[in-house]
Amino acid sequence: MKTPPSPLMLRLTRFVVGDQSLHKQLLLWLLLPQLVLWLAAAFVTYNVAARYANRAIDASLSQSTRSLARQIKPVGSGLLIDFPKAAIDIMDADPDDRVYYMASTPPGQYILGSSSKLPPPQLNGPPKLGEPYFYDAVVDRMPIRVAALYLAYGDAKSRQLILVQSARGRARRDELARSILGDTVLPLSGLILLMTMIVWAGIRAGLAPLARMRALVEDRAPNDLAPLRIEAAPQELRSLARALNDLLAAVHESVAAQRRFVNDAAHQLRTPLAGLKSQTELALGENVDAAQHQRLERVHESAVRSAHLVNQLLSLARAEPESALAQHSSRVDLREMAREVTAEWVPKALQASIDLGLDDAGDDARPVVVQGHPLLIREALQNLIDNAIRYAGPSSEVTVGVWRDGAFGVVQVADTGPGIPPDLHRAVFERFVRATHEGSGCGLGLAIVKSIAERHAGQVSLSSLAPHGLQVRIALPLVR
Amino acid sequence: MNLLLAEDDAILADALAEQLRHAGFEIEHAPNGAVAEFLLLKQSWDLCILDLGLPMVDGLTVLQRVRQKKPELPVLVLTALDDLQSRVAGLNAGADDYLTKPFDFPELEARLRALLRRSQSSPVANASMAMGALVFERDSRRASIDGAPLELSPREWTLLDLLLTRRDRVVTKEEVAQAWDSERAEPGGNNSIEVYIHRVRRKLEGSGLSIRTVRGLGYLLEALRPA
Repeated sequence: MKTPPSPLMLRLTRFVVGDQSLHKQLLLWLLLPQLVLWLAAAFVTYNVAARYANRAIDASLSQSTRSLARQIKPVGSGLLIDFPKAAIDIMDADPDDRVYYMASTPPGQYILGSSSKLPPPQLNGPPKLGEPYFYDAVVDRMPIRVAALYLAYGDAKSRQLILVQSARGRARRDELARSILGDTVLPLSGLILLMTMIVWAGIRAGLAPLARMRALVEDRAPNDLAPLRIEAAPQELRSLARALNDLLAAVHESVAAQRRFVNDAAHQLRTPLAGLKSQTELALGENVDAAQHQRLERVHESAVRSAHLVNQLLSLARAEPESALAQHSSRVDLREMAREVTAEWVPKALQASIDLGLDDAGDDARPVVVQGHPLLIREALQNLIDNAIRYAGPSSEVTVGVWRDGAFGVVQVADTGPGIPPDLHRAVFERFVRATHEGSGCGLGLAIVKSIAERHAGQVSLSSLAPHGLQVRIALPLVR
Repeated sequence: MNLLLAEDDAILADALAEQLRHAGFEIEHAPNGAVAEFLLLKQSWDLCILDLGLPMVDGLTVLQRVRQKKPELPVLVLTALDDLQSRVAGLNAGADDYLTKPFDFPELEARLRALLRRSQSSPVANASMAMGALVFERDSRRASIDGAPLELSPREWTLLDLLLTRRDRVVTKEEVAQAWDSERAEPGGNNSIEVYIHRVRRKLEGSGLSIRTVRGLGYLLEALRPA
């Protein structure tokens, strides 16, 4: 079994994976560059901060290296190093920010220095004398910054190089760079966040007319073809709204033309059908032989059926929203209407040997008031009673009932006829679908009822009765 | 009864005229609006059946013109147009009744007779009624079955009167109660209607009439069909 995804998951997937949303696209195109810029700014800031921190440290290292170098004096062929104990103490004083120093004669002959040996600089070519080299290195697993100075002693013959190095831990420098970074990136992030919110709000505000238009289109009944209101739409949407309206108008026109045709055709059919009916009725009254009489009865039956069909087609056309009846909406008391219509149909029911009645057992006599088109609702009820009388068969009972069910007023017509098989309960609401070949129906009755109920924001439902029979219910929203 | 039938469809007009003749009317046929108007104004008629979609002069115009000269003439409009606007237009122009094609002849006949009754409603016309073996004389307040007088209390009389007037149609309990109230017959509750119906039923035995109970609505007087 597949479980349907939760609405939240659905929304998330839709947001991430696809479904072309302008909102999403705009947000993506505005926020992605911002994120890249933010990252670039952080990177650049960090590097600049590190460079300035290095420069400050390098300057002080350079100075201390030169001071150290000044203490080394050539004496004859040797070197005199005058390094006071006090200076050494000062340099070794701070254990967190250790200072390293070293003097050596390359390659690697140690003369003096702090406990750890400092690596020599990587040279390309001969060392430049008197110019400090700065580089990063690691000593005792501590990252350090080193300043190295090459000096030369002695005359041209016995020329000797001395490498003087001093170094400090890089911890201080990194800390400095980080604090500069922090000081810059934090306000920057705040700014970006603010920007994002403004962009979000801007997109929402900018796209609001689109959402409004969507709601306008979405909230419509499928058969509402009135044009959209375009005055409220911004410039960019107006052309779209106009195009939509043109389309709606075209559809409306063609639907109306089609309805007019059905209407006119039905009207045109009525007179000849009336003639056919009357002529056959006359002929039936004359003395004809039995076989001819039977044929004439068939012709008459066919005429009656055609007449019924034409009337039902017109009823269906009347139930459409464009019909003239659509303008006559008023309060309708279903109870009162059921009484009237049932009473009207009793003689016809008696002719068909059907016991038609109203079920008001245990009922309060309060009106059941709905808002609607009285003639249409009457037509729906008449169709239900007509159906019941047509199909229930002689000596069945047909009972009309009215009651309130929550926010709905319900009218029900129940019969004790053969009923309709449950698998046809849905199909019979479609036009020209009949559940039986008995009777002279045309398959439009329930379609008309459904159409009318839907026009009133109501519903129609069918259910079977035990041991046999059918009940059809119309539920229409009550007037509050 | 002479009746003018204004209908342009020859086949329908032919059959309808024949059916009406069978029903005891004298028929003149007008195939278009101009003829219909001429005949209606020149001669005197008891009734007119008027199609709205007539050639030359349409039925609505004929109706309006005739109404000015003959406001009394009962006119039944018979038309293929049954939407609300057409009905309203027809009734506004002065139609007394409105029937749409295709129709059932018995219904047309019943409506024509109702129109006639209304137009000739001298009090005498309604004074006495016969149905089955029952004769009901309103002015002398006497009823009889097969000549044998029928004793009826005021309430029973009112009840039977109502059922007879509305024969073959449903009379609701409310209508019975109202009739009793307006006649100031002896007071009684709504639920005693059943009692009176029962009594009247027994008194009607052998008259060929029966009072049928219509569930949830009321009662209906019908002639018993021969078995």
